[in-house]
Amino acid sequence: MAKYGGWVGKILRVNLSTGRIWTEDTIEKYKDFLGGTGIGYKVIWDEVPAGTKPFDPVNKIIFGVGPLAGTGAPCNGRTAITTLWPTCWPKALVATGHMGGQFAAELKYAGYDSIVIEGKADHPVWLSVVDKKVEIKDARRLWGQGIRRATIEISQEIGPGAAVAAIGQAGENLVPMSVVMNSYSHSAGGVGAVMGSKNLKAIGVRGTGSVRIAGKKEEWEKLIKLHLSLLGANNQHVVPSSPQPWAEYYDAASRWKGSRGKMWGASTPAIETGTCNPRELNRIAYRTNNAVHYLGDIAWKYTVRGNGCTGCPIRCHTMIKVPSAAAKYGIPEVGQNTCGGLNFGRSFFKTFPDGPRGMTGIEACMVGMYMSDDYGIWCNYSQLQRDFQKLYYEGIIKSKLEEKEFKSYSWDKYEKGDPSFLFELLPRIALKEGELGTTLGLGTGYLLERWSLSEEEWKKSHGLNYWKLGHPKHHSNEEAGQCGVIINTQYNRDPQCHSHANFTRNGLPLEILKRLAAEIWGTPDAVDTVGAYTPMNTGKAKMAKWSLLRKELHDSLSLCNWMGPWVASPLKERGYRGDDSIESMLYSLATGDKKNRQELDQVAERIFLLHRALTIRDMGTKEMRTQHDTIPQWVYEDPSHRPVYTKGTTHLDKEDVKLAMDMYYEEMGWDKATGAPTPEAYRKVGLGKVSDELGKKGLLP
Amino acid sequence: MDMMDNKMQQWETACLVAANIIRKKSETGQLLLQKEIFQELMDQKVLKSDNREQLGTFEAILKKTMKMNQDLKELLDKDGIPRYYSGQFMSEAYARILLRKKGNPLLLIAEIVRENSARYPRPIPLDTFKNSPFELTQEEILTCLQKMSGQEEYQDIAQTITSIGTVFLYSSRHLDSDYASMLAEWLDVGQCNNP
Amino acid sequence: MGHQNKKPEILEEVLSSEGLNHSFSRRQFLKLSGVSIIGISVLEPLFARGETKAPLIIMKQAKGIVIADPTKCVGCRRCELACTEFNDGKAKPSMSRVKVARNLNFGPKGVFPEKHGQGNWGNGLIVQDLCKQCPHPVPCANACPNDAIVVKPPTDARVVDAKKCIGCKMCLRACPWEMISFDSDTGKATKCFLCYGKPKCVEACPAEALSYMAWRDLTDKVPPRVVPTAVIPPEKAAACNDCHKK
Repeated sequence: MAKYGGWVGKILRVNLSTGRIWTEDTIEKYKDFLGGTGIGYKVIWDEVPAGTKPFDPVNKIIFGVGPLAGTGAPCNGRTAITTLWPTCWPKALVATGHMGGQFAAELKYAGYDSIVIEGKADHPVWLSVVDKKVEIKDARRLWGQGIRRATIEISQEIGPGAAVAAIGQAGENLVPMSVVMNSYSHSAGGVGAVMGSKNLKAIGVRGTGSVRIAGKKEEWEKLIKLHLSLLGANNQHVVPSSPQPWAEYYDAASRWKGSRGKMWGASTPAIETGTCNPRELNRIAYRTNNAVHYLGDIAWKYTVRGNGCTGCPIRCHTMIKVPSAAAKYGIPEVGQNTCGGLNFGRSFFKTFPDGPRGMTGIEACMVGMYMSDDYGIWCNYSQLQRDFQKLYYEGIIKSKLEEKEFKSYSWDKYEKGDPSFLFELLPRIALKEGELGTTLGLGTGYLLERWSLSEEEWKKSHGLNYWKLGHPKHHSNEEAGQCGVIINTQYNRDPQCHSHANFTRNGLPLEILKRLAAEIWGTPDAVDTVGAYTPMNTGKAKMAKWSLLRKELHDSLSLCNWMGPWVASPLKERGYRGDDSIESMLYSLATGDKKNRQELDQVAERIFLLHRALTIRDMGTKEMRTQHDTIPQWVYEDPSHRPVYTKGTTHLDKEDVKLAMDMYYEEMGWDKATGAPTPEAYRKVGLGKVSDELGKKGLLP
Repeated sequence: MDMMDNKMQQWETACLVAANIIRKKSETGQLLLQKEIFQELMDQKVLKSDNREQLGTFEAILKKTMKMNQDLKELLDKDGIPRYYSGQFMSEAYARILLRKKGNPLLLIAEIVRENSARYPRPIPLDTFKNSPFELTQEEILTCLQKMSGQEEYQDIAQTITSIGTVFLYSSRHLDSDYASMLAEWLDVGQCNNP
Repeated sequence: MGHQNKKPEILEEVLSSEGLNHSFSRRQFLKLSGVSIIGISVLEPLFARGETKAPLIIMKQAKGIVIADPTKCVGCRRCELACTEFNDGKAKPSMSRVKVARNLNFGPKGVFPEKHGQGNWGNGLIVQDLCKQCPHPVPCANACPNDAIVVKPPTDARVVDAKKCIGCKMCLRACPWEMISFDSDTGKATKCFLCYGKPKCVEACPAEALSYMAWRDLTDKVPPRVVPTAVIPPEKAAACNDCHKK
């Protein structure tokens, strides 16, 4: 028997140039990096030299899952895809996309902890992984097809239970703003074109194997039940959105939408979601309805049910059935997605004829999902749509396009809020047709460059949400003050970190948030409430470090950072406490490698530091503070010129933010002047060799 | 001796049933009046018939039931009439909402708005009061707000409207208008734009 | 020898053991199968004489059954994970005794274009396949050359006795609903055994789509998934003819 549970023991390696397929031992080579992003960063560090570009055959793309993927641990369905990032501007750096669905679990059942793909096939291929049988198959007849048809054809070949990760025409055409998708609605942004550059149309996985749980099955069952008992709704919102008999608190903005009288209206028969008492673990799936969360109560009658990743009870995707969309636009009646994916089509439009929460908006969502999830177009956390609105309404598109092309779009339809406009726009992005289609597909950074637009202008705008390197913010100061800002400086795309936002938005009143914060980060002052920020303190730096480390931990274990960490819970009898050791308990029991919370956080720190080292190496500078960890101007400005740290504003003070970065670097044990990790910081987490290599290049402080 | 044992047993049964009745109703989100509990006990044939002696017995039984069961709570409305619920299945906050809803919608709205403004702190959408358990109509809510604007004790209840036209309510005792409107915009628009 | 003469004796033995001594037609006997009568034990003396291969008569109905509501299934597969992790200590949906994954994407009929199917790629309906704890004749038990599928208290579920199972997979081919699983790690068949009366799948479902209820006969309510291809040993089949010959 294998020494450890959780991991299945093999990394699958595929060289598409040579056709060579081989495996590596997960434990021997990668145990210290867990899986997911950990393995991703390690492979890039070891094998992809600085200066490599995303579409070079030498670039590698790693489909990483962790030891918890495929188990019964709640919220484990994530695959982290690490590669050099096509939209990272002006120079490609390492980054990760994430997708849910069935892929992660199926890969584990097939017997692999990750897939590493390198090289480039000389004609379109797809990778078939059916248990131990791995083949590179001809995909020429799939090339040019959308994701949907490619998935169906591959499923017909390897079975209806297969998990197929496929790119659409966008990825094929090397459009940087492209995705890979599996399980109908689960996308990983930003990586589609890397697959396209390798002529890799899809990976189809079928697995009949198992993931062994090292610990006693009775103990595992008990731990799973504990974890389930602490779950809230999506994003770990722990209070319902309307008063419920059992609940002390409620929050209209909570994703916990289930309530008496609220029905899955498009189900046959309609199914009531009910009061969803948190002690009823058999009703967790009725709590969340993200279609209602984004589209309003009107969406209840279109809801068929929830959907989502393997093993997750939350069901953050909503399946909606909208017959009017089918009738008007000739698209399928049923669509499903969540968050950015759900809103893809709607976000392009400034207004709709029947207002922001009417039917047209829903129809725009349906049309948008139908195309973007088939062509495989990425939104870059809706930066595509924000840029589009600005570019159009400020006349930039008109000025940059030749008259013939400009006239080929029905701009009146766009201005009116007619979803059929999307049929003109989205295919042209995927197929790289015309100046507008091509430019929008580049990502914001290269768009700015191509059209000689000023990044400074983007960095000053409040509405554009732009941060740096061609990517937007993701839960920054508008969410969590200085903590959010720190988090947003650390990555090479938007940070995809929800650890902090899950906490600040969980719906509990401020006094409880502060009580929990004191327990986790040492002081109640670690959290402020939105729009009533206070100056920086060490608690906030600790919260930022915790948020970042846990994000990497989740992405490496295969736990969902859109749900965890689980430091708050809906249970009054626990004082609304969750358990900050859930990750380490799950890890220890599943793998048999006993690590407590601090020890596992140290592994997370190792993984996070490797990302830092890679960024430093590939930027060729140790001056991270000034060159990388930058903050856009809009963070410091309030549109109404309110003073900082007063109620009603979310902007921050420049000097205070400098202090925030100081405190963060100190918390990390990094050099304050450069923001670069010191040799001691690397050695402390076992990255001594990495430190030496950086030292040789003069990249240590 | 036998008769005493019999009576004791009757009482114990009655207490058990009474506690169950209260808990079951709490689970479905309902408070109970004394007479409703009494009626249930009669419907279930735990108490014999409707006469003065039985009523006296019932009051004693209720008292004993409350004493024996920690989770059972009594709440008085503005007229001093008690209602009963189980803390195991219903929170005090929810019980208060139900209580206010029956007698005093103005106070209900004001209390909820003030509590939200003080504790979270945040304004709340006007539509909150259309949903369970408030279940007021648009007209009823607007009528309440109009009445409140004319009464001194409700002068702190204020409105703010977001950029997409959603009305939020807040208490100026706890939130100033600038902050309230910023929070309303964040809750209604900002959070959706930052999923 | 007197092989032919022995067959009616089996029927009489079964009937007499329950004091049902009056003459019964075969049809009337079959109608009795709703009543819990006996196991094989009463026939022991007959077979100890080595004169005939024991037919498998499982007259005890299971006490419970897991029933599914497909409209509530949200496709999370926690049932499959609970079944295997909490019973076998490993996450192995391919051997789960409740089967959802095979219908998840396109429905029980397999890969169809989106509009015409069920599952996540069709109209959203996910059919959960469950063991019906069949009444007599129990296809899987009948097909087992070793009589390794037995009735086990407290639930009287039909259960694979791992000690007797030789891994021939005949039972997999016998079940019209393809509900038997095979554990490639142990080399044994396995099937739903109702978890001693507290089915793990029912406990795990976050959408209340599974329920544990008093047993009822669903064998004529759910269309079969396949045409069974199991081979019953001829002596056994012959013995079955005693009651089931038309």
